[in-house]
Amino acid sequence: MRENAERNPLMPEPMRIVRKYDLTESVRFFQVRPLDTQRALTLNYKPGQFMMISLAGVGEAPFSISSSPSRPGLLEFCIRRTGKVTDAIFGLKENAIIGVRGPYGNGFPFEKMEGHDIIIVVGGLGAAPLRSLVLYALDNRDSFGKVYYLHGARKPSEMLFREESFELMQRDDLICLLTVDEDDTGTWPCYKGVVTDLFKYIEDIDPENTYAAVCGPPVMYRFVIDELVKLGIPKHQILMTLERRMHCGIGKCGHCIIGSVYTCLDGPVFNYWDVLHMKDLI
Amino acid sequence: MKKIEKEKLLRHLEEKGNLVRLDRARQDPLSVTKSSHLPQEELLLLFRINGDKGVEIRVPEGRGGKILFGVSPCEARAVDLLDLTFLRDRIDPYYKRKREDNVLFVLACNKPRSTCFCTSFGYGPFSGKFGDVFMVDIGDNLLIDPVTEKGSKALEGLELEEATPSDLEKMESLKRSAEGAITTVNIEGISEKLKKMFLDEIWADLAFKCVNCGACTYVCPTCYCFDIQDVERTNWGYRERVWDSCMFPIYSLETSGHNPRPTGVERMRNRIMHKFSYYPELYGEYGCVGCGRCIRACPVNFDIREALETLKEVEVAA
Repeated sequence: MRENAERNPLMPEPMRIVRKYDLTESVRFFQVRPLDTQRALTLNYKPGQFMMISLAGVGEAPFSISSSPSRPGLLEFCIRRTGKVTDAIFGLKENAIIGVRGPYGNGFPFEKMEGHDIIIVVGGLGAAPLRSLVLYALDNRDSFGKVYYLHGARKPSEMLFREESFELMQRDDLICLLTVDEDDTGTWPCYKGVVTDLFKYIEDIDPENTYAAVCGPPVMYRFVIDELVKLGIPKHQILMTLERRMHCGIGKCGHCIIGSVYTCLDGPVFNYWDVLHMKDLI
Repeated sequence: MKKIEKEKLLRHLEEKGNLVRLDRARQDPLSVTKSSHLPQEELLLLFRINGDKGVEIRVPEGRGGKILFGVSPCEARAVDLLDLTFLRDRIDPYYKRKREDNVLFVLACNKPRSTCFCTSFGYGPFSGKFGDVFMVDIGDNLLIDPVTEKGSKALEGLELEEATPSDLEKMESLKRSAEGAITTVNIEGISEKLKKMFLDEIWADLAFKCVNCGACTYVCPTCYCFDIQDVERTNWGYRERVWDSCMFPIYSLETSGHNPRPTGVERMRNRIMHKFSYYPELYGEYGCVGCGRCIRACPVNFDIREALETLKEVEVAA
């Protein structure tokens, strides 16, 4: 019984909120660290994976990991205030303890992506999982070819990691293109329009040798995928993270099932080829 | 096979532990066998909330195993199907503990109901390969045969007689009459066919009378979906899992408001596809045992056998 308790996959680990700040009006950034220092340094995960965050007595919810395993010690999450659990999390101050279990899901297939050009396309809250990928690619810069980062938001104030993205624009080892649908400030320094408008600035890539990663609101996928297919990127190299209502995270509870696939085990990263064969997916 | 007096066996089992008799009345509509492994409500974690000092979390102790006496072959097979989900990849410790502790005494089904269609799935009311011990009630005595080591252990210390040829004959005749009373639906090739039917219009017809009450999924011995919920009291609380049903609109509703299965049509399709297409694809077994519970429980008389016949008749472009 003791043994079971130690390996219980539903048992959360206590972690401390070390830092938090608002990214937008409704999205807050949380930096957490396992109470156990050894665990903090050895906790391993892949960009694209997610974790279950819980507050005892309130409930559990799944969140994409926004930090990169190449920067160990801390886990970062972007959390939008939208329900019971997130309401309670927004009520927490620094140093509060939360329960975290995971990581879950497949994550991005780096063994396949290495040595390729990378195009990362983000819409809105899609920055949460894909920031992890960007940081990872930059920290392992030699393993990848060209890196494009395309980020679209509705308004400047709604762009997640806005300042961080501005910093990315200064770098010469990646091409960062930012756009907003509508500039209500009048001082937006980057592009205006939808994220697909940015595709005309992509040049000099070898499509056969390129991986794309997409995450955003459901309406975005079709348009972005069209553009990627037009560029000539093979279907199995177009990756997207598609979340479902994950609940147990260990492939039991059934909520995230799409056909014979459990999003929490076989996803949330799918390629376009998978998507074409699972009609329930988008 | 061996032979033993029923009372003698029951006395022996009563001494052994927590005996649950399922042989006296038909266990309907809920499957006691399912809830003995996956209870309708099950504590996962207990919390003690110590003010600012934080939360102490512990896993509740198990309650020890049960001896389930008189499980029907279909329900015992259903537990084998639950194993495929709960004991794969990351093993579910709550389920595993119960599965290891419980002992299943399977009793051949002498009087199948009009809703039974177990013979459609390659086994029958007298299949002796499920559970831990297989028994046949031949009137005055039970014919008995351990299936697993756990079953043999449960029978240790009992004096068993050898079954006589006339006992075996009795069994054969009971078996023939039971099997004869069951409707067999020919489901050959249905899983392959369903793969091509995702966008078919037939799902709207099938879902038309369904009221999405979820009764079919609650009584189904192979349906296992659950929800995880927290309950908070003054300075303590718990996390529990409760049965959920894919027939409910909120089952797949995401926080953003997006619902991948918004109407009854998608939900009906998902329930049938899961049992007859996705299960075979994943595990090579159908996710249905043909017990007929969903047929008996349905308030609008949805009959899964008729649905399968309808699906078989639909013409699909190759």
